[in-house]
Amino acid sequence: MTLLSAKGLHKSFGGVRAVRDISCDIPEGTVFAIIGPNGAGKSTMLNLISGVYQPESGSLTFAGQTLAGLPAYRRVRLGIARTFQKIRLFKQLSVLDNVVAGFHVHHDIPAWHYLLHGGAFRRDQARCRADAMELLAFVGLAARREALAGSLSYGEQRMLEFARALATKPKLLLIDEPAAGLNAAEVDSLLDRILTTRKQGVTVVVVEHNMELVMNVADRILVMDYGQHLFEGAPAEVQKNPAVASAYLGGELM
Amino acid sequence: MSDAAISRAVHPWWASRRLGFLAAALVIAALPMMLTGNYWQTNLTICAINVLLALGLDFILGYAGQLNLGQSAFYGLGAYVSTLLITRLGVPFWAAFAAGVAFAGLAGMILATFAVRLRGHYLAIASLGFAVITYQILLNWINLTQGPLGIYAIPPPPAITIPGLPAISFRNPVALFYLVAGVTLLVYFILDQLVRSPIGETLTAIREDEVSAASLGINTALWKVFAFGVGAAVGGAAGCFYATFVGTLVPDAFFITESFTILAMVIVGGMGTLIGPVFGAVLLTLLPEVLRGVGDLRLMVYGAVLTLVVLFMPGGLVQAARVVGARLGLSR
Ligand SMILES: Nc1ncnc2c1ncn2[C@@H]1O[C@H](COP(=O)(O)OP(=O)(O)OP(=O)(O)O)[C@@H](O)[C@H]1O
Ligand SMILES: [Mg+2]
Repeated sequence: MTLLSAKGLHKSFGGVRAVRDISCDIPEGTVFAIIGPNGAGKSTMLNLISGVYQPESGSLTFAGQTLAGLPAYRRVRLGIARTFQKIRLFKQLSVLDNVVAGFHVHHDIPAWHYLLHGGAFRRDQARCRADAMELLAFVGLAARREALAGSLSYGEQRMLEFARALATKPKLLLIDEPAAGLNAAEVDSLLDRILTTRKQGVTVVVVEHNMELVMNVADRILVMDYGQHLFEGAPAEVQKNPAVASAYLGGELM
Repeated sequence: MSDAAISRAVHPWWASRRLGFLAAALVIAALPMMLTGNYWQTNLTICAINVLLALGLDFILGYAGQLNLGQSAFYGLGAYVSTLLITRLGVPFWAAFAAGVAFAGLAGMILATFAVRLRGHYLAIASLGFAVITYQILLNWINLTQGPLGIYAIPPPPAITIPGLPAISFRNPVALFYLVAGVTLLVYFILDQLVRSPIGETLTAIREDEVSAASLGINTALWKVFAFGVGAAVGGAAGCFYATFVGTLVPDAFFITESFTILAMVIVGGMGTLIGPVFGAVLLTLLPEVLRGVGDLRLMVYGAVLTLVVLFMPGGLVQAARVVGARLGLSR
């Protein structure tokens, strides 16, 4: 079943046509990778799906519902979460508080509890903290829960952003260059966690330059170049495709 | 360590919230007895009013991260709306009080609705513009506000009569101080509950990074309007008390410099905490009084304190207390 369907998406910035006529169907429960050279429009695609930008034309359908005109925060409630290419954590907040903030759309207690902190309130708080700790354990940051997010290493910050996005309980998780700046061991554990996330039923869209990671994690790959659709297929097909190879100037992919 | 032991280690008895409120209530009760005489009792009430103003601004600035320079306008709106209702229409004090608070809060929400896309410097300028316009309206709408001529003989809140006890008249400055300080303590309690709930998490997320906040499902525009509404309403409450306390009302009390004074209180105390602005407001209310003896030099001292804090203690008094506490081995 298709979870997200894009049809003829266009988005330009001034004279730059960042995304031109991109269509794709992302099947539920898969890892879908978007690759391409720098400036190909990959991040713009994620921004269109998450609602940071609205497309000039074309349509997005998520679980049978159109996303047209919906702002980013409304899409989170539908089940779309994301991370950012340039890390955007709440740097002055603790690691735990970063993840707890991710539960924003899942507090379901009557409004007066915010004033009087009754039993339901305390149960909700305890549940959020327990869930947040579980997510931190999942990404290997449980021991760092009290640290300020800004004090984490680069790799740890990427994993924290991953955990924070998962806190929104997404159906579709968009991750933009999660391996950037990670060492080999960190890339391995990232791979593991992406696959675990998929196993838990979350559909993942990953934009990534690290081909080893992409080839190991992706069920399908969309290749973009200058905003355009260059190729789409399984990892093995992508590796064999001459047009893809030439877009990467012959080296990187093999 | 057992859970209880951990909880005791993290929240030692002297940091317990209930004890904190109890201690604050005792201090409020004791102050007018220790600092007797008209001069001090006047200053105590001014302190309480300034604490309210600083708490309101801190909710907007310290928690939601929105640089609001319009607090003087909300202060003035609360004062004028409640006073005009009392003096012109004979509305009972507490109904007028509620109306002043609501009007100021509404004004804050309307300002935020229009300024919601602005950030940093631009929001500062827009909110300052709002303060300028409000001041000009208070000054020039003479038919309504009597402009610079002022409104006189504003009555105190009605006496409270409890059967069997002597009536409590708010013509008595000590009683009025207890009233204002009591309401301030209540406001502190309410804000404290809010910021320690998911609402606090939401506002600080917006302060830290709006794009990230939106990516977690936070309607940033809506929550900024909320923060402005609450902070402006608290400023409006301060205005209602100011009018009834001073008994006369002129627009100059709400000139834009007042916004900067309130900002200084929040910064010197430590924004993003509630206790910081309380001490910031008390310090910056009393410091000029203490320094009255040195004449114009006091403005220099005042300015120097502010500069030193911003340069060396950006977290304000709260940060200073934490540093000292850590040195003495009091904190964890
Ligand atoms: N907000 C923006 N304003 C102006 N131009 C933009 C904006 N966002 C993207 N672009 C331009 O659109 C094009 C595609 O950018 P995009 O960030 O989507 O590329 P990308 O494939 O993610 O590249 P990279 O691998 O470097 O992250 C680039 O030419 C970029 O300069
Ligand atoms: Mg990119």
